[in-house]
Amino acid sequence: MTTMPQLDTRPAVEIVGVRKQFAGRSRRSPGRLALDGFDLTVKQGEFLCLLGPSGCGKSTLLNMLAGFTQPDGGQVLTDGTPVDGPGPDRGVLFQTPMLFPWLTTLGNVLYGPRARHELSADARRRALDLLETVGLSDARDAYPHELSGGMRHRAAFARVLVNKPRLLLMDEPFGALDAITRVAMQKFLLELWQRERITIVFVTHDVEEAALLGDRVCVMTGSPGRTQAVIDVDLPRPRSIETTETLEFVTLKRQIREALDNEH
Amino acid sequence: MSTDTLAAPVAERLTPAVRRRRGDISWRRVAFGLLGLLITALVWELVAALKHDPVILPSVQSTASTFWDYLSQKYPAQGKTLGQHALVSAARILAGWGAGVVIGVALGGVMASVRIVRYLLDPLIEITRPLPPLAFIPLFIVWFGIGETPKFALILIGVVPVMIIATVAALDAVPTELVQASRSLGASAFWSLLTVRLRSALPSIITGMRLAMGGAWTSIVAVELIAATSGLGYVINNAGVNLQTPLVISGILAISVLGILFDGALRLLHRATDPTAR
Ligand SMILES: Nc1ncnc2c1ncn2[C@@H]1O[C@H](COP(=O)(O)OP(=O)(O)OP(=O)(O)O)[C@@H](O)[C@H]1O
Ligand SMILES: [Mg+2]
Repeated sequence: MTTMPQLDTRPAVEIVGVRKQFAGRSRRSPGRLALDGFDLTVKQGEFLCLLGPSGCGKSTLLNMLAGFTQPDGGQVLTDGTPVDGPGPDRGVLFQTPMLFPWLTTLGNVLYGPRARHELSADARRRALDLLETVGLSDARDAYPHELSGGMRHRAAFARVLVNKPRLLLMDEPFGALDAITRVAMQKFLLELWQRERITIVFVTHDVEEAALLGDRVCVMTGSPGRTQAVIDVDLPRPRSIETTETLEFVTLKRQIREALDNEH
Repeated sequence: MSTDTLAAPVAERLTPAVRRRRGDISWRRVAFGLLGLLITALVWELVAALKHDPVILPSVQSTASTFWDYLSQKYPAQGKTLGQHALVSAARILAGWGAGVVIGVALGGVMASVRIVRYLLDPLIEITRPLPPLAFIPLFIVWFGIGETPKFALILIGVVPVMIIATVAALDAVPTELVQASRSLGASAFWSLLTVRLRSALPSIITGMRLAMGGAWTSIVAVELIAATSGLGYVINNAGVNLQTPLVISGILAISVLGILFDGALRLLHRATDPTAR
């Protein structure tokens, strides 16, 4: 993948006046306005957390960024170009890892290169390196049902990272994990992001998670979804679980929670 | 990316996956299974000895020797050996079932993808599904005579709806996110359809094929009983009319053997396509 030099000056994500309406159940019932006039800009290499109550349109937004759905109005751009369908430049991590159950861990990681007919020795080496990075070297010939929940998530990470995405879209990826695995995955994600400097849009329900991970937290309210507040997180990096015990962190959490409660 | 491990703490805490073979044969299970068969044979032998009437119930040995003899001996005299009759039935099954599977999967695939086609065919399937295929035998004999065509048609009419329902259900059950995942990994719509949607549905489709195979045997034996001059159903019927009970039972056993063989092959296929079933 070649990147043009001026690419980095453009925002990684630009969402301008986006509207999305879902059809009602019957012809007479009005459609449901999920998003209306939504704006958001994400800088290159930024870690942005989207936080909001259930049903405020976070997944809808992420699906449009991924190219799974189209907006009914407004524009969705990544790296300055309008999103037109899904693509490997935008890696998607779902709430459940969504590995292909009939492929081994390595087979899952190599799915992308194979699908794009780019299965070279280099891609293979890269996949093995990534499995090492996510700590799954020993499990490369195991099938997804033989992995633990955390291992499946890390396999899904490797499967996305092998495509060298410029943007990671994560929809409550750790929501279904137990508390211990969740902390381990957050740590893993932070270290990965520190190293790779990919742009990340991270959807979460959890105030603490948003404050721990993000450079900025976009607090949304529904419905239709709009931005309630965008809060800068000025905590020093690298952050770890100890960060959550500092006073600044607690203050920040309160600030975010107030923005959440401050609907209307 | 360098090879040092970001996830070291995680990796330490979670034990590495050890692949277990779940297909290990349990000898206890096999031993008890054989014991069950043995007891059945003993009871059969006992009843046969008490009845002392080979037309009502021949002994195990006489049935076994009849089975063995007719593998090389023709029945009726100018006809085929038991093995050849079995091959005729098997060929009819494979032709009808094979065609039915192809048609059913194709129609099911289109129904799962094109809404209009689903609306069009749904009522038709709902109407034909509860009908036992055997009800069509007289109709098909009137239409197609007593050659191979009515037999083919009969198997088809049993297999196709089963395969359509299995295929549509299997394709509907594929999570959207699985397809979305493949698309965002760079797969084209066609590649994703092939390697994710269809692939994901495959184990369930094979289960449908197993169900359809059972129905196909019912159909073919029934139509051979009534309108055929070859095949296991014909042997069973003809031997019954001539009070050759050992041969009747031999024919039934031959069906059982073929049924187990075919189903075993499909089970192997299912195992090969579904790692979670291993
Ligand atoms: N396919 C759909 N058809 C109809 N309505 C939909 C559809 N998808 C989402 N919606 C509606 O759009 C709104 C936003 O949904 P969305 O899934 O984006 O919420 P969310 O913020 O991700 O919620 P959660 O935190 O619970 O995942 C909701 O009111 C939902 O009912
Ligand atoms: Mg959601």
